[in-house]
Amino acid sequence: MTGNIPGTNRARQNILDHGTAHPLRLTVTLALLLSSVGLQLFVPQLLRDFIDSAMGGQSGAYLRGIALTFLLAAIGRQLLAAAATYGSADLGWRVTNRVRSALARHVFGLDLEFHKSTTPGNLIERIDGDLTALGNFMSQFAVRVFGGVLLLAGVLVLLWQVSPVFGAGLLAFTGLEFAIIMLTRKRAVPATMQERESSAELFGFIEERLAGLDDIRANGGGNHSLWSFNAVMRRYWRTSLNAWMQRLTVWLSSYGVYVLGFVGTTFVMILMVRSGAITVGTGFMIFQYLYILQNQIEIITNHMQDVQKAAAGLTRVRQLMEETSGLAEPGTDTLPAGPLALELDGVTFRYPARGDLPERVTLSDVSLRLRPGEVLGLLGRTGSGKTTVTRLLFRFYDPVRGQIRLGGMPLQELSAEGLASGVGLVTQDVQLFQASVRDNLTFFDSGRATDGELEDLIQRIGLGGWLRGLPDGLETRIGAGGSNLSAGEAQLLALARVFLKDPGLVILDEPTSRLDPHTEELLQLALDRLLHNRTAIIIAHRLETVRKADQILVLDDGRVAELGDREALARDPASRYARLLAAAGADTSLDELLQDGGAT
Amino acid sequence: MKKPTTLRTMLTLTGYRRNVFLISTAFWLLLHSTPVLFGIFDRALFDSLAEGPEGGGVNPFLILLLMGLLDTGRIGLLAGGVITWSRYFIGAHLLIRRNLLGWLLTAKGARRLNGSPSEVVTRFRDDVDDVGNYLDSFADFPGFALFAVLALVVMLGVDVQMTVLIMAPLGLSVLLARVLQPLIRATRRRLREATTEVTGFIGELMGAVQAIKIAGATEGAMRHFDGLGEVRRRAALKDSLLTESFRSVSDNMVAVSTAIMLFLAADRMREGVFTVGDMALFMSYLPYLTGIMTFIGNMLVEHRRAGVAFERLDGVAVDAPPLELVRNRDLQLDGPLPDIVNGMPERVPLQRLDVRGLGYTFPDGTEAISDVSFTLPRGTLTVVTGRVGSGKSTMLRALLGLLPQTTGEVLWNLQPISDRSTFLVPPNAAYTAQVPRLFSDSLRENLVLGRTLGRGALDRAIDTAVMRHDIERLEEGLDTGVGNRGVKLSGGQIQRSAAARMFVGDAELLVFDDLSSALDAQTEAELWRALQQEDPGRTYLVVSHRPVLLERADQVLVMEAGRILT
Repeated sequence: MTGNIPGTNRARQNILDHGTAHPLRLTVTLALLLSSVGLQLFVPQLLRDFIDSAMGGQSGAYLRGIALTFLLAAIGRQLLAAAATYGSADLGWRVTNRVRSALARHVFGLDLEFHKSTTPGNLIERIDGDLTALGNFMSQFAVRVFGGVLLLAGVLVLLWQVSPVFGAGLLAFTGLEFAIIMLTRKRAVPATMQERESSAELFGFIEERLAGLDDIRANGGGNHSLWSFNAVMRRYWRTSLNAWMQRLTVWLSSYGVYVLGFVGTTFVMILMVRSGAITVGTGFMIFQYLYILQNQIEIITNHMQDVQKAAAGLTRVRQLMEETSGLAEPGTDTLPAGPLALELDGVTFRYPARGDLPERVTLSDVSLRLRPGEVLGLLGRTGSGKTTVTRLLFRFYDPVRGQIRLGGMPLQELSAEGLASGVGLVTQDVQLFQASVRDNLTFFDSGRATDGELEDLIQRIGLGGWLRGLPDGLETRIGAGGSNLSAGEAQLLALARVFLKDPGLVILDEPTSRLDPHTEELLQLALDRLLHNRTAIIIAHRLETVRKADQILVLDDGRVAELGDREALARDPASRYARLLAAAGADTSLDELLQDGGAT
Repeated sequence: MKKPTTLRTMLTLTGYRRNVFLISTAFWLLLHSTPVLFGIFDRALFDSLAEGPEGGGVNPFLILLLMGLLDTGRIGLLAGGVITWSRYFIGAHLLIRRNLLGWLLTAKGARRLNGSPSEVVTRFRDDVDDVGNYLDSFADFPGFALFAVLALVVMLGVDVQMTVLIMAPLGLSVLLARVLQPLIRATRRRLREATTEVTGFIGELMGAVQAIKIAGATEGAMRHFDGLGEVRRRAALKDSLLTESFRSVSDNMVAVSTAIMLFLAADRMREGVFTVGDMALFMSYLPYLTGIMTFIGNMLVEHRRAGVAFERLDGVAVDAPPLELVRNRDLQLDGPLPDIVNGMPERVPLQRLDVRGLGYTFPDGTEAISDVSFTLPRGTLTVVTGRVGSGKSTMLRALLGLLPQTTGEVLWNLQPISDRSTFLVPPNAAYTAQVPRLFSDSLRENLVLGRTLGRGALDRAIDTAVMRHDIERLEEGLDTGVGNRGVKLSGGQIQRSAAARMFVGDAELLVFDDLSSALDAQTEAELWRALQQEDPGRTYLVVSHRPVLLERADQVLVMEAGRILT
């Protein structure tokens, strides 16, 4: 399959681009926020008025009037703030959902080597865990922190009005506080990233062992797994502690600076009240503004943890987005209907070096031509490159040299869906989902086939009786629970999936090796029907299986050892194929035959 | 025995590193209650300012100095609190996870996961996090409670009527909050479900990348994913709306309380009964008191959620004794690496194995196997065969104690085995599943599984499983990491590794569920010859369809529809 699927170019967009996708919502949310901030700044002025008026002998009615105004302003402010929070939460979820979608598509399009090196659990943590942290951050960022910044600015302006001394002093203090926060925060981001990584590792480990629970228990390997878990726990312990300590540094330094600011401001305030420069009410108001300042700095600081976690998440998301596939872009063409011709022209391939896996040459200069409707028997020992050919045909990789053409068209020019709909694969490894039978057959795309078509298909495969026996029919959930499906039934179901898309080329990679003779018969019948009027490649373990092939290809260590018409090869006593036939019984191992039977 | 309450469970959890927990709680106690002094200092300060320099009250600068010193002290308390708390907190999370994993991996009795691995991982992650949130509150509660008591005492000392009337709205906010809580719970639950759908689906997607791509089903799968995301978004918004309403209720009540105070203060201040200082004191305490109300409300919610979390975790552990998950244990997180504890049972040489009336029904009620009975004499090969879906694999798993609630019994040398899951393991029995699993360790670790082996045992096992050639071709031989679920090996190599893993245990009884797909007939014949040579007394129970094997068998059992055909 191609490394990039339609739409992944969108995935490379900056996350900020996703953020500006809803301009109206953004504007309304900002307006609500600003109004809320304005009211909050107004309230301490009321208190000043109240105190000075009370001390100055104003009437009780006047004072009670202030109290009422106070009530209305305070409640109004709350409502506006709540509305703003709702708006930003909505924005946050919409944006992160878009990114999550883009990220999933991107990761999905990465090549096989990537998917071999990460656990699904790890990916869940990265795709969802990181983005949810990011989403929470965005939901609260606008109102709490952005609102906090606006409040800070407002407070500073108002205090400047009282006296430039306050204004300047508190500005410096605020600046100093944030500088310290930024510095300590920067130092903390790598620690938080490591914390998330070891967290992902921890859950990846647990998930992997849970998936193999029976294997571990039946072989008495439980204690060993726990011992391995200890190492994972230690890493988590160390990185978490480290992250906590980094965050503590942030808190301590900002609290320390606050204390200095508070003492300084109060000192000046006391001086000014005592000298009569300002009233007691004004002093009280300053105290209130200082309280708001402290509050906002605390809030911003508290959310620094979220900011750090989100920044770490953002970095990890970006890293994931930047993982490139080893493959070039897919094309846009589609394949014609009906059986397809297949041509390999001097195809050479090596598995790319990735991580600790070095390059290995697996195919050298392989060429073949299959006419539409022909069947190729592909023989070779384990490791001779048979499965590699399959992967190249699905564009899990691109050849290093040479070209592959299907229906006359080079693979690189085909679109992803075009290629996928044209080629079908039947292997012994069946990947089913924890989902209904229908979803498993249609891959969650209900538009692919009607229920009637699905039932018909299941009947033709030979699972009609099985389906009738299911409690909810097509709705029945199957998958990892495993209760209503044996390995053989799963194999047949996977075969049905392939039938569903009517491919022009079918590849059979030893699909019957796990089945009992009776089921193998059933499968063989179904397969014969499947192969009618379709080009096919049969990768065989037993000579019996390629008995009906039109051509035979023998691979040896990635090279074509023999290629030709089957009957002709069988008649030629000097050919490898003829010698294999002579040496073999129906059930004999090809591996062994090719090992010592193959003439060099 | 009655199920322990959430409170009891939490208290047991505090037993993990109890000293650290107590010291940390002491720090938080001081940190949260010292603001009472700030209120008193504020009052002194403003009364002094209102009286003026001639008033003869306390020097305001002196008061400022005391406040500064108190703040400095609190910085120290914060540091102490966080340093101690982090050690306890992280450890407690790990404790629950370690206990649950340990129970699943090593406890007696059959274990069956009550969901896919990714769903169960969500329990490990989110439910333990819920418990963690409640733990936070546990440590904070004493300090807040002390503050509340002290603050109320001080306030009542100023003016009883005022205090009562001011606290009334705060009490009302608690009532309103309780009304909102069931709603919040419901939306939280829906949000959690929607989240599980999303994460579960990601796990499935990423576990079946090849199949989906090959089928060209990527777009469909992605659209389904987007759909799940939408559902979650809407659930999250409802949750956010309710949470915000909840939050604003308490803040609104502060405004109401302050307004009441201003109303009442209007006359009192003119009369001189209530001073600016008193106003400063009340306004200093009000936000803290509301915060504490909110805190208590949250704490009740967290209490309930922790209870649900414990229930769910217990649901994974199934038959664990009460409080098993929070049982104190030295996690050995510091210091030298722990040794592997080898829990192998005593070897009891097998003379005969009798299976009598073995049966198993799936959780949904369909019968898998019933009334299966047979005998395996020592040194024989018994082959089980039958159609797809006839119950062969299930029978093997039921026999080995991998399935819960089976009927019938299994006798080892005519003695009934009380717990098959811990007895039928190496060196008594060993098993290779039809689809075996490897783990992201080195190949060697996968094969050895931490067992102490005799000399050459590993090499012999590798040779018998016909893996020598494969290992030579791996770039680091046995030390090569096999990748997630053994993905760096081919399907055949995984099966042969599982076989080697089984052979390493040198067990009395070997149970294979269909090795055929890993080996061609010739090699399989070699394998059997090697096994026979190594230990003619070993007994085998194998699922297979290979004619070669059926010919070799001392006994063939044919299964159909969950029963043995006679």
